[in-house]
Amino acid sequence: MMALLRRHPALLPGLVFSAVLLLAPTFAERGTQNDLWNMAFFVVLAAAWNLLGGFAGQVSLGYSAFVGIGAYTTVLLAQAGWSPWLTLPVGAALAAAFSVVVGLPTFRLRGPYFTIATIGVGEAVRVIASGLDFTGGSSGLRMPAGTFDFTANYYAMVGLALGTLALVAWLQQNAFGLALEAIRQDIDGAEALGVNSTWVKLEAHAISSALVAVAGGLFATNFQYISPGSVFDFRLSLTIVLMPIVGGMGTLAGPVVGAMLFSYLQIKLLASPTLRDSYLFIYGGLLIVVMLFEPRGIMGLWERLWSRLPRRRTPAIAEARGAG
Amino acid sequence: MPAESAPILAVSSVSKRFGGLLALDTVSFEVQPKEIFSVIGPNGAGKTTLFSCLVGAVHPTTGSVRFRGEELSGLRNDQIVTRGLVRTHQIVKPFRDMTVADNIRVGVLYGRLRLRGSKARERVDEVLGRTQLVHRAQAKAGVLSIGELKRLEIARALATGPEVLCLDEVMGGLNPAEIQQAMVLVRALRDSGLTILMIEHHVHAVAGLSDRLVVLNFGKKIAEGRPGEVLRDPAVVAAYLGDETKEEARA
Repeated sequence: MMALLRRHPALLPGLVFSAVLLLAPTFAERGTQNDLWNMAFFVVLAAAWNLLGGFAGQVSLGYSAFVGIGAYTTVLLAQAGWSPWLTLPVGAALAAAFSVVVGLPTFRLRGPYFTIATIGVGEAVRVIASGLDFTGGSSGLRMPAGTFDFTANYYAMVGLALGTLALVAWLQQNAFGLALEAIRQDIDGAEALGVNSTWVKLEAHAISSALVAVAGGLFATNFQYISPGSVFDFRLSLTIVLMPIVGGMGTLAGPVVGAMLFSYLQIKLLASPTLRDSYLFIYGGLLIVVMLFEPRGIMGLWERLWSRLPRRRTPAIAEARGAG
Repeated sequence: MPAESAPILAVSSVSKRFGGLLALDTVSFEVQPKEIFSVIGPNGAGKTTLFSCLVGAVHPTTGSVRFRGEELSGLRNDQIVTRGLVRTHQIVKPFRDMTVADNIRVGVLYGRLRLRGSKARERVDEVLGRTQLVHRAQAKAGVLSIGELKRLEIARALATGPEVLCLDEVMGGLNPAEIQQAMVLVRALRDSGLTILMIEHHVHAVAGLSDRLVVLNFGKKIAEGRPGEVLRDPAVVAAYLGDETKEEARA
């Protein structure tokens, strides 16, 4: 057991994290459960985004589009009489299909041009949703009565968050994860070794957008009301990007740490009358601090401190670290 | 080398224009299986552009490249790699934040062989062994010496399981002992069944290794044949050392 924990240092905090989330309904009050629901929601968004943005280095600022597609699919189908649970795979499939439509032209762009294009896509989707009749225009849509069940929704969101992390951890270790890493470090070099970079990026985009859409569907059921201003908001896209960046891009734990921090910040900031309008200012400040002092985020900082802890080490390892 | 056997690589009338510069001008040649075939010429002659055209990293403006009888024009770099035609880069391009073993693993997993599981691990070990990088397997590529980086560049290409391996100045920047090692490696690769195309400036290596070679100058093929004849060709000597009458005319 100890050997296992030593070999996988993320295992223990991961188990504690999972246990707290899964057992919270048995001991925590409802307000805390709401906060944990929100954190789990952020974990899904951040960890799924990280697959494409962190591992493959394709920074998309349009992910609210996928939250919105999932949310609108759930509400529209529920209004047509569907069970909200059955709407989730439909939303995921629609988001994945849309991610391919968006990805085919935009993945030809490299570096900042891809990021800029995704801002345009996210905003275009919001404007379209605000203008169409069947989406309720800018006033949005309401879930039909009788679809609200917090505890079920809580377990679904927590299950989705843990499932997303397990999927990312698995992908990170197999061939797909290595291809994403190769694309991030040198896309031409990856292609020169046989990696079909467009296809790999499309796959990562589809997987992450499908996960985000399921979270969007659960969001709609939990809040019972959605509008372009809530699920297609650019500030949501921004938060999705900031969480992994602040937590540590391209790591498993980084998005979780970022999601914890941002869900806590959001609760504190929204509760404060003086700070609630200036939270983007605070997010911006946080981003600048991270970029200046530790581009690898909180996980990078943690690794640096951890490696400085005085403890017994074989000289070979110390030397390798010094050289690296 | 029987000349009548089917060429593994046939380059016909390949031209590449970058704006006003004609980097390659109707270059044609054929490479036989298991040949060591060199491409030489002064700096700026179009050698690296030729390699880029072969593997689809850039697309020729006109002309055709046929690999094992298949027309390659229009195919992407990764598609050509998975068919078995791979190049190394003169300016090495490792994934610097990855270990040496992982660098090689990318080619093993995604190249022509697409191995998985224990077969992939065996192949990574085999490539590490052939390129003498076993002791550096777990080092980050960013910390390697230039000699090791050149071997890693070969290792990455080799990992993909090529039938034709295009080596772009893998001996540049190496010391004489390392060049000797590299020559042994190139010969061993050919003996294991690969066809080698190489761009090389080292006359000793070119003369010692090549079965045949072509000489490019200003994007044009100016000579082709066996090293003994080609390296004594007055036109080739003039291209390398400068032709006094031509230099005066240009001035």
